[in-house]
Amino acid sequence: MKHVSRRNFLTTSAAASSVLALSGTAPAFLQQAASDQNSDGRILVVVEMAGGNDGLNTVVPFDNDLYHKARPKLGLSESDILKVQRGIGFHPEMRGFADLLEAGHLAVAQGVGYPNPNRSHFESMDIWHTCQRKGENRSDGWLGRFLEASGGATSSDPAGLHLGHDKQPYALMSRGVRVPSIRSLDEFRLNGSDTEGFREAVKELADARRDDSNDLLGFVQSSTSSAISASERIEAAVGMNSKASASYPSSELAKNLQTISQLILSGLKTPVYYVQIGGFDTHAQQANVHQTLLRAVSESVSTFVNDMIAHGFGERVLCLCFSEFGRRVNENASEGTDHGTAGPMFLAGTQVKAGLIGKHPRLDDLQDGDLKHHTDFRQVYAAVLRDWLSCDAESILKDAFKPIDAIQRA
Amino acid sequence: MTDFIEPDWAWATYEPSSQTPWDVRAAAHLYRRAGFGATPAELDTAVKAGPMNAVQTLLSETTEPQSYLTQMSSLADASLATGNPERLSAWWAYRMLSTPAQLLEKMTLFWHGHFATSAEKVQDAELMFVQNQLLRKFAVGDFAGLLLEISRDPAMLVYLDSASNRKAHPNENFAREIMELFCLGEGNYTEQDIRELARCFTGWEVKRRKFRFNRYQHDSGTKSVLGDSGTFGGEEGVGIVVGQDSAALFIAAKLVKYFVMDEPQPSPELLAPLANFLRDQDMQIGPTVQKILSSNLFYSKHSVGRKVRSPVELAIGFLRTLDGSTDSYKLAEALQRLGQGLLYPPSVKGWDGGRTWINSSTLLARSNLIRSLLENDKTRFGKQTLVEHLRKVGANSTDEIIDLLETTLFAVRIPAAAKDRIRRLTRDANETNKLTETVHALCTLPEFQLC
Repeated sequence: MKHVSRRNFLTTSAAASSVLALSGTAPAFLQQAASDQNSDGRILVVVEMAGGNDGLNTVVPFDNDLYHKARPKLGLSESDILKVQRGIGFHPEMRGFADLLEAGHLAVAQGVGYPNPNRSHFESMDIWHTCQRKGENRSDGWLGRFLEASGGATSSDPAGLHLGHDKQPYALMSRGVRVPSIRSLDEFRLNGSDTEGFREAVKELADARRDDSNDLLGFVQSSTSSAISASERIEAAVGMNSKASASYPSSELAKNLQTISQLILSGLKTPVYYVQIGGFDTHAQQANVHQTLLRAVSESVSTFVNDMIAHGFGERVLCLCFSEFGRRVNENASEGTDHGTAGPMFLAGTQVKAGLIGKHPRLDDLQDGDLKHHTDFRQVYAAVLRDWLSCDAESILKDAFKPIDAIQRA
Repeated sequence: MTDFIEPDWAWATYEPSSQTPWDVRAAAHLYRRAGFGATPAELDTAVKAGPMNAVQTLLSETTEPQSYLTQMSSLADASLATGNPERLSAWWAYRMLSTPAQLLEKMTLFWHGHFATSAEKVQDAELMFVQNQLLRKFAVGDFAGLLLEISRDPAMLVYLDSASNRKAHPNENFAREIMELFCLGEGNYTEQDIRELARCFTGWEVKRRKFRFNRYQHDSGTKSVLGDSGTFGGEEGVGIVVGQDSAALFIAAKLVKYFVMDEPQPSPELLAPLANFLRDQDMQIGPTVQKILSSNLFYSKHSVGRKVRSPVELAIGFLRTLDGSTDSYKLAEALQRLGQGLLYPPSVKGWDGGRTWINSSTLLARSNLIRSLLENDKTRFGKQTLVEHLRKVGANSTDEIIDLLETTLFAVRIPAAAKDRIRRLTRDANETNKLTETVHALCTLPEFQLC
């Protein structure tokens, strides 16, 4: 990407934009002018598995006695496991992931975590989203920093999109770039009696200059502008799209991935998408819930990747799945597991180096009953940033991390 | 932009001055924050009464008339008969819209966000109702009492997977959340404290949808929690947690965020006088809320317009200010779409509020909600159409309507250019459309998202 020229362009345009009495983020037409350089650009789809996924019952050391000792009720038996390599296999419901692996489209980073792990969902999630610890400056997220560094938007299309009902992920936050959240395409439009005229007026009302002493007002103002532009762009894009996408499973995650597929196929140039699936906080009666969740993730992601391949977009899409922590090695008395530490991450797409990366965390070398990580999650981010999104990982992660070897380099 | 705020000045009693007068805008600010919103007539009464009397009235109106309670109770019964918690969600929306005790309901909502429990997981309307009544009972009362009751509340225990807790394998979830989210905040306890506190709660369980203590499953050994040691049970465990100095600071900070400002996060120095007051009042919430609503800080530029309207504040506030009523089921669904489904908080952490209310989807949905309220046949304003109602309160022309809404519903002034644009938008429309378009456009302004 041509960072320098784009930055110059925006600098020289700054005077012009103030004359036009616009405020907030770069107006859409400037972004448009600097755009269309990413028409065959790469796309990252992040899947957040919220609640703390039990990594030990996801990528399972099935022939390890210590595993069965720690999991008398929840332990999975060897005969059900989808074997990956000697002693390691997937949860029986992860057929989709097993097939992706077989086809060479799945990489599994094992034993991922970070030093001095925090077992609070919220704190640990914030650490994964911002790459910063509490007390450090946490004004933006790692993807937000990427979007900002790469010029905010590659075109008039949104720089990033969050699909789902949850609040906007911290990872996508930045000072300058507003990332839209979409619950569903049907709802993502402004209603009014004379929609054209009303929308036009609302856009002008949002763009009108305001006293800038109230930060919060500035934030709402730029968010309103970007909401209107994004809804217009997406309505137009989806309206033009005649390609039908594949049939997807019925889970909400699958529906959101299907919407992403629709948007990608309709030519939207957005480089980053974010979806979430919750419910991994399995303190009690874990077995059924966990199995349903793993099936949803594995089925949805594999359907999406295959859909992309079938439409000739396979080489442009990478999916990254993570959770804020794993769970305790020992099951608890409620046939569940409590908050733990290290766990696996998944990278799916045709451009991954397929297979297991790193060893399964040791069961005979625990810390306070928890698995020890050997790979920092920022090493995985570094691989995604450097080898997939072709940017300077160090400035975005605010430190140097050795990228894991998970992506085929061009 | 982060000005230093002098703590002594901040919590001293507000006295109207030419710079910060007690007028209809100030009264509207009080009602938007302490409640949901007030009609022009209610605001007039408050202006005449003066700020301290207005605050006193809000605090003394925390008991509702028996006739109202009877009506609410029979409506709740009808909702519960369906077994569907979404019906109860609509009941609560109706209650917020109709209660004479606005502050009580606003504080009930505060505790629902604080002790967040979702019907999505509990799947039991009756238990959600029991919890909701508990939150209302203690809404402006004793925090320590509420904390103990909520620790034994079946909906909460089910929500946090703590419906059984055996001594052989103590369940750490409730012990963690009571310290992290309900009382102390992250960093004020250790992982070891969590394990020890979890032992105090062993034997606490839910059987046949009721709390009970199972002494056979209680670990009667010595525990060491937050520096105290003894053969503690759950009650003592809760007492130790709420007795920490950080508890008053933690609750004071949340109240300030709820009533005063989203950002910046107030410094510990600014919070200290309020936290000390809360501690001196034995963790009584009412007097502390009164102190906040009577303070210089509350009526200052640090507070007015420095919060993002929550979906409830947006929808219920819009309707209450215009004496409106509508289809409660639709209203409850809309709140869910806007990100604040009543009885359906997103996680045990509740709603983060502030900027997190705002994203492209919610902004479009906020605008669309106002439109659908205006277009819904069941929406009435003072039992009339909006045209009739506004005429009754003296707003006929577009300019008068803009003035009325700006004074009562807007914390931040509307730029003159924006008013011009709205006049231009509606110039050629007929009377009803003109009104709908004007109100809808005003309520889509960025300014309207703040309160």
